[in-house]
Amino acid sequence: MFKKLLVANRGEIAIRIMRSAQELGIKTVAVYEETDKTSMHIMRADEAVCIGSGPRRDYLNIERIIQAAQRTGAEAIHPGYGFLAENPAFPKQCTEAGLVFVGPPPQVIIDMGSKVIARRVMSEAGIPSIPGTSVLPAGDEGKRLAAEFAEKHRFPIMVKAVAGGGGRGIRVAQNRSELERFIEVGRSEAKMAFGNGDVYLEKGLTNPRHIEVQILADRHGNVIHMGTRNCSIQRRHQKMIEIAPAFLPDYLTEKICRTAVQAARACNYLSAGTVEFLLDQEDNYYFLEVNTRIQVEHTVTEVITGIDIVREQLLVAAGSPLSVTQEDVSFRGAAIELRITAEDPKNNFMPNPGLIEIYQSPGGHGTRMDGAVYQGYEIPRYYDSMLCKLTVYGFTWKEAVDRLRRSLDSFLIAGVKTTIPYYKQIVTDADFINQDFDTSYIETHPRLLDYQEEVPPIGKLASLVAEINAYGYNPYS
Amino acid sequence: MAERQRVSPQMRTAEILDFLRKTPGVFLTNNERDLSQSDYMCRIMPQTTLKVAPYRDATGYFAFEIFGGATMHMDLIKKQVNPFEKLRLVRKAMPNTLIQGLCRGKHLFGYRPYPDNVVEMTVRLFSKYVDVWRMYDCMNYIPNLVVAANAVKEAGRLLMPCICFSTGEGHTDDFYLGKVEEVLSLLGENIVLCIKNHSALGSPARIAELVGAIRKRFPSLLISYHGHNTDGNDLARLMAAVQEGVKIVEVADHGFGGSYSQTPALSAIQNLRDYGFKTPGLSIAPVLDASDILRRERRLYDEFTGSFHGFDPTVKRHKLPGGALRMAMEQAEKAGLLERAHELFNEVIQVGRELGNIWVVTPGSQLLWATAMSNVLNGRYEKPSDDLKRLLLGRYGPFPFYDPPEWIFKKVLESGRADGKGWDEILADEGGLQDLADEDFKARRLQLESKLKRLSTNEELCIYLQFPRDALEFMKFEERFGKTWLLPPEVWFHKGGFPDGTRISFADEAGKTHNIDLISTRKTADGVQTSLLVDYHFQTYKTQKGGD
Repeated sequence: MFKKLLVANRGEIAIRIMRSAQELGIKTVAVYEETDKTSMHIMRADEAVCIGSGPRRDYLNIERIIQAAQRTGAEAIHPGYGFLAENPAFPKQCTEAGLVFVGPPPQVIIDMGSKVIARRVMSEAGIPSIPGTSVLPAGDEGKRLAAEFAEKHRFPIMVKAVAGGGGRGIRVAQNRSELERFIEVGRSEAKMAFGNGDVYLEKGLTNPRHIEVQILADRHGNVIHMGTRNCSIQRRHQKMIEIAPAFLPDYLTEKICRTAVQAARACNYLSAGTVEFLLDQEDNYYFLEVNTRIQVEHTVTEVITGIDIVREQLLVAAGSPLSVTQEDVSFRGAAIELRITAEDPKNNFMPNPGLIEIYQSPGGHGTRMDGAVYQGYEIPRYYDSMLCKLTVYGFTWKEAVDRLRRSLDSFLIAGVKTTIPYYKQIVTDADFINQDFDTSYIETHPRLLDYQEEVPPIGKLASLVAEINAYGYNPYS
Repeated sequence: MAERQRVSPQMRTAEILDFLRKTPGVFLTNNERDLSQSDYMCRIMPQTTLKVAPYRDATGYFAFEIFGGATMHMDLIKKQVNPFEKLRLVRKAMPNTLIQGLCRGKHLFGYRPYPDNVVEMTVRLFSKYVDVWRMYDCMNYIPNLVVAANAVKEAGRLLMPCICFSTGEGHTDDFYLGKVEEVLSLLGENIVLCIKNHSALGSPARIAELVGAIRKRFPSLLISYHGHNTDGNDLARLMAAVQEGVKIVEVADHGFGGSYSQTPALSAIQNLRDYGFKTPGLSIAPVLDASDILRRERRLYDEFTGSFHGFDPTVKRHKLPGGALRMAMEQAEKAGLLERAHELFNEVIQVGRELGNIWVVTPGSQLLWATAMSNVLNGRYEKPSDDLKRLLLGRYGPFPFYDPPEWIFKKVLESGRADGKGWDEILADEGGLQDLADEDFKARRLQLESKLKRLSTNEELCIYLQFPRDALEFMKFEERFGKTWLLPPEVWFHKGGFPDGTRISFADEAGKTHNIDLISTRKTADGVQTSLLVDYHFQTYKTQKGGD
């Protein structure tokens, strides 16, 4: 096992990774941009290196990160999620610099990062994919193919960027004119966003469920799954709430998990990853994509299996076999994870950076906090707005929901608007409680936004005390 | 059974009246509303009231008066408490005692008449909490009570109409018997009649005579006595009233009153028992407990007891009720007239006589005093107020005994008139009670909501209709600072800055303790920065201006 690990990320995931490393006795190195110097991951690391003035530039700068690792004597690098996690150049250059990359090899990232290649690999392995095209040629030929596809599979049709992912670079066309327009717009947007303007088409499913399977693979030929997750509650294709297990019928769970292992083998997977599927109303599932990284929502799987996924990643990266076999993996209870962000749900989830004046997080049995903020922390406006992930465990689904409600009720964040009041609405919503949700949940439940803003009453009273103190008398008495 | 000895808020009006008729003995009503108004310029804060609520609730009072009179307006402007919320809290803290309120008929809790639909809505909404409605008109003009009284009956609450009592020309038993007759015929017989002796007038013999006369004419009528101890002699009047058959008397806590408010409860109980009267359902121990607590609280309100202390037997002449007297002296001091107090009081007596020897009670008391002040400062009736004009025009009701002299009508009504109309013409054209058009609730609600930039509740609309500007200010205050009644009175009335290290500790409505610790105060060029630990969380607040 290596002695020192550099975490090429920030925020909650950097801290999450450091925790497992520290448990294994591995020293940790944080990197940060100047604009992020008050970030909590720096405080949690044994060492920290400033890699540039930022913002959002240096976290993407492979050379500087490798230099930081070399300077501090780190032997391995964990990319977390986002930033460089799915950039195949990163593992490649790490390897060239003699550093261990905690994740799959570059070719896997390349293959799975290309939606078209990924679909081909899966279909060769006999894994069902949503009907789709290969890369659409430019000009009239592309239009013709699109028209044919639409004729055969009917609308809605998704226009997807080949280089997209995580919900980005997707448009849903409901008719022919939209289809033509979205292909054009999609190309130019994809070019700008991902540096690759290629798009392809996929049949759109009506209100499907988003189901995914966590997988782990080592260099010794072991590939195991860690069960399902339901990530259907999404806002504009971005996941908001993730649940494990997905509560599918046993036969389906078994089939989907077996398929996921098969998919991992098909692409020579290594380390932790996720195979994502869409499940239609008739329980038909289709391969969606493979995420070649640790995912935000990995915590729900950890909670119901008791297995530390990052620890396994580190073991695998060091060349060890997985510490668990498929037979060791069992599932108990239910877990729900929320992404609590500094966003104003009432204002179209607009990011709301600012000073965290009060921060009181919940705790107690079954409540797991993966946070990255603290009281007095000024949230920089340059990075994503995630404050923390709240994961709860319950012996049953109901207990998990009850615990989630209790945890949210005892969560107090003042100074910035957060998604907490919105989630509080969700946990008391009958459809959520009854597990009656699919990817259309957020859109079809607009009244979730109908809540009162939370201002801690004691803070208001304190502001009056401050006024009395300043005036030397109570101007309102 | 012990429970049978008390009325309860769960009883219907008929049951309460029946219980009073059938139960021998005398009942006491604790009047904190009047104590606050008479002795503390209406400043007693809800925290103090709530602190002693369990003891008062355990005492076994007939009712607890905590609402009405001037308090509603003062709650909004000086205490920043929603009157509805205050009642809700008191109701919760005193579940076994009737809550009583004082209403000025069509003037509700203000100084001018309100449209009928506002009166009805107000009574209906407050009746959620107010079990007993004590109601008076400053001219004893009973028709002014009809709309509010009907609304009370409609809400199923107990109506307690008052006849305001005074002395001197016209104030005979016959006059008052006629008023009682009027009350019974206009407001019905299912009432408790209140003799309202706000100015602490009359000897015990006079009160005995009046009560005796009423009892003789209306033997089954239940009577309550509301007196003030301004002259130090209210206990004697109270006893005289009881001996003639009064069923309910109003008292105050000895630990808190002892000035111009009501007779101490304990003194009344001791006297009543010594004279052989029963006090059903009443326990003495909680009376003592309440006062032990209130003695410690009263120092928090010292600044509101004013500079005018001690009993005032001259009230017999000037007739100003306790609270009005204190306010009067403050105003005189502000106007630099304290040395001429004697002159002022003589003028009050003179004005009272000239203006028909009416009752010196709100809004009449303010009117008389303001007129006297103006007369001393500006010459007699030289600068008449609008309220005085309204009195002479008969807006409050007709003069019951005699009209003021013509020269006063002339001077007052013709003052400031551009049209050159003579006073008799003005009186003929404009005199009398006014019929006010009903309020357009929908329009006023829209107006309120556009100012609040949010939806409003019926209760908010109700207080807005009565005090538009002050209610709105209050609502904005509440939005900004929250439920500030939670703060202890010593914080609310604090003078000077808080020294570093000060701890402010209080419980919220759920009983949970909160702490605000003062860390530091820093004065900067543009204001003051106060750093606090708010429930152990560090916070800095900037106040733009202020501080010395």
